[in-house]
Amino acid sequence: MKTTLKAMFLAGTVLAIPGVVLADTVVCEPGNDGPATGAPIRVGGIFGNAAPGDFSSATRAASAYFACVNASGGIHGRPVEYGVENDQWNPELAAQAAAKLVEDQGVVALVGNASFVEMSVNASYYARNGVMVMASGCAVSECFESSNIVSTNQGPLASSVGAAMYAVEDLGATNIACIGLAIPSVGNWSCGAVESYMEAQGLRASSVLMNPGAPDVNSSLLEAIASGADSILVNLPAGLGIAFLGAAEQQALRDVYTWTSSTPLYDVSVPGALGSYWDGALYVNAELTPLDGEGEHARHWRAVMDDYGRTDDPRDTFSQAGYLSARFFTQLLSTMDPAEIDDRAAVTAAIQGIVGYESDLICGPYYVGVADRHMPNRAGTMVRVSDGGFEVVRECYEYEGPYFEPLIEAERALGLH
Amino acid sequence: MSTTLSGRIGVALALMAIVFLPMLIGGQWMRIFTSTACFTLAAAAAAFMYARLNMVSLAQVALMGVGGWVMLRLNHGTALPFEINLLLTGVLTAAISVLLALPALRMRGLYLALITLMIAGGLEVIFSTYRFPNGGTGFWGVMPSAAAPFRRPVLAESDGAYLRYVIAVVLIGFLLIDLHRRTRPGRAWAMIRRSEAAALASGVNVTAFKAWAFALSGLLAGLAGGLLAGALGLLDPATFRASESVLLFALSVVGGAQYWFGAVIAAALYRVLPALFNNAGIDPNLTLVIFGAALLHAITTAPDGIAGQIMGVFRGLTAWLRPKGRR
Repeated sequence: MKTTLKAMFLAGTVLAIPGVVLADTVVCEPGNDGPATGAPIRVGGIFGNAAPGDFSSATRAASAYFACVNASGGIHGRPVEYGVENDQWNPELAAQAAAKLVEDQGVVALVGNASFVEMSVNASYYARNGVMVMASGCAVSECFESSNIVSTNQGPLASSVGAAMYAVEDLGATNIACIGLAIPSVGNWSCGAVESYMEAQGLRASSVLMNPGAPDVNSSLLEAIASGADSILVNLPAGLGIAFLGAAEQQALRDVYTWTSSTPLYDVSVPGALGSYWDGALYVNAELTPLDGEGEHARHWRAVMDDYGRTDDPRDTFSQAGYLSARFFTQLLSTMDPAEIDDRAAVTAAIQGIVGYESDLICGPYYVGVADRHMPNRAGTMVRVSDGGFEVVRECYEYEGPYFEPLIEAERALGLH
Repeated sequence: MSTTLSGRIGVALALMAIVFLPMLIGGQWMRIFTSTACFTLAAAAAAFMYARLNMVSLAQVALMGVGGWVMLRLNHGTALPFEINLLLTGVLTAAISVLLALPALRMRGLYLALITLMIAGGLEVIFSTYRFPNGGTGFWGVMPSAAAPFRRPVLAESDGAYLRYVIAVVLIGFLLIDLHRRTRPGRAWAMIRRSEAAALASGVNVTAFKAWAFALSGLLAGLAGGLLAGALGLLDPATFRASESVLLFALSVVGGAQYWFGAVIAAALYRVLPALFNNAGIDPNLTLVIFGAALLHAITTAPDGIAGQIMGVFRGLTAWLRPKGRR
């Protein structure tokens, strides 16, 4: 009897092993046989997570993608060791995190960075140390106007201009009030670009900027009304944006203005938080393609998150952007000479040489180049709040405006435009 | 002028740190210790006010913010070298400190503490509204773009050399406090601490010497803020919240306001302990729980803080080691 039980146990174990292996069916390119071995390729990532927000979604997605790459054979057979640091929105910690990764751990590049703070503090440090950052959650001007940082997300400027374009071209706006935070490299910068865009169209716009330390949605709403605008563009973090729209709902202003928003309100939880009042009346710009997209990479992103991420990892825009940065980085390293992938200078030069990487998660080609500013992703999608969710109202469209002119020139030089 | 053993040990340790510390640590700890050294100077300023005059200043980190603002404005607005900018930063912050303190000079104890806290709160609002200069034009010097480069001292452009530079300035700051303690202001402060009426009756100009203390405290906080600006190249309002001033003062009490190394302990608790937690994968916010417990401990059983306890052990050891006949 004992022998029979032992045999059954062994048979069961043998049968179960393929089941365990088969459970992780998602393969990440380059996809060699078996798990990666050998010395790890060191890569870093910095995110911000403390009050007022958690930006860890991008590095979580990058981490899941690298775990998938490692399980699929690694890059040139070697695993990626992904070291992630939290800057806690603290400039000193951001500087310390960069020094730890770049100097002490000797990473070849940083991937998936997402923070308000760390790019502002470390942009010049990355340039001095010749290390590239393939970021995913840029929110400040320093992130886009730096030689060594390039992001897969668009940030508030491009997203706001995209929303303003939609308001003008599809909703007939002639005077936009852009509601932002009074942080020079965030609200002033992005709403300033909306003003420039409107001016270039022969139209009007104004910026209504809230003190981030003591935001007052009611007074900002009154200021927007007093500006004489016929369209209101909400360019705020999701929580504050919802509060602002709540104040507008109390004043029954939905039908008095046309309403658009930059990406932060493109989150699955937002329609529920806003309630049915805003159904069909709020248009939101999406920096990447829709979260429920059916493209190859969109489905692969969700599968990687399901198999290699944690169940509580957000499936949001930053997650898409983190996945995409890690994917592009892996794609690049797998084409490099294996002898060079531990050489930071060679990796930096290779990243700067990226031209025309494509994905169904973004509307245009991804490129880097040697330049003082980078914003490869400046075409997006427009969605509308509808029935507790979102519906696409305008497919991929490229943004226009004076800010993008130098970028278009750079793209022309690379044969991309 | 006589020197104490602990003072000589302090100077020796500072000199050793200047020579050896950057050789022994990596890039992350270089930055952590630079930041710690800056806050040591600010903690020393808060501690001397408390220890010498019994005055509680809850605006020390906010004054560091003033120093940081002035330093960045001078760096981006003028072509002056770092040293001149740092000196001007210290002097201007001292002047602003006195100006802010003038209405508070008639206050004592809790009321003075509350007024300094309100000053810190006011400065917090100004910092978060107008931000820190980053190379823009106009009075506030802010532009919505990447910050212009910051000029570090010619002799200390690398992180290691800058850490040495900061420790040297902190040492000078400590010596300046000690110089005051040993001369006329120190004697006047000692009388004011015991009784303002008695000091007045003895011919001490109480208002002037209190203002002098605020000026010295502002000078040191300004230097600390200027050095912190040099470490990062830019500053963020979140560093200088009013709550940070309260925390630094509380840690000065925990460290021990009576002794020079109490400020070092306070700054280490403030900046090194969270970094150790962070490296160990523990939420650094948990240090706040430890700080609260340590403050309770200091208030109830160790009024001279950790430094006082260390000195107690040191005195006990020397008494035990001394030959019996000489006890």
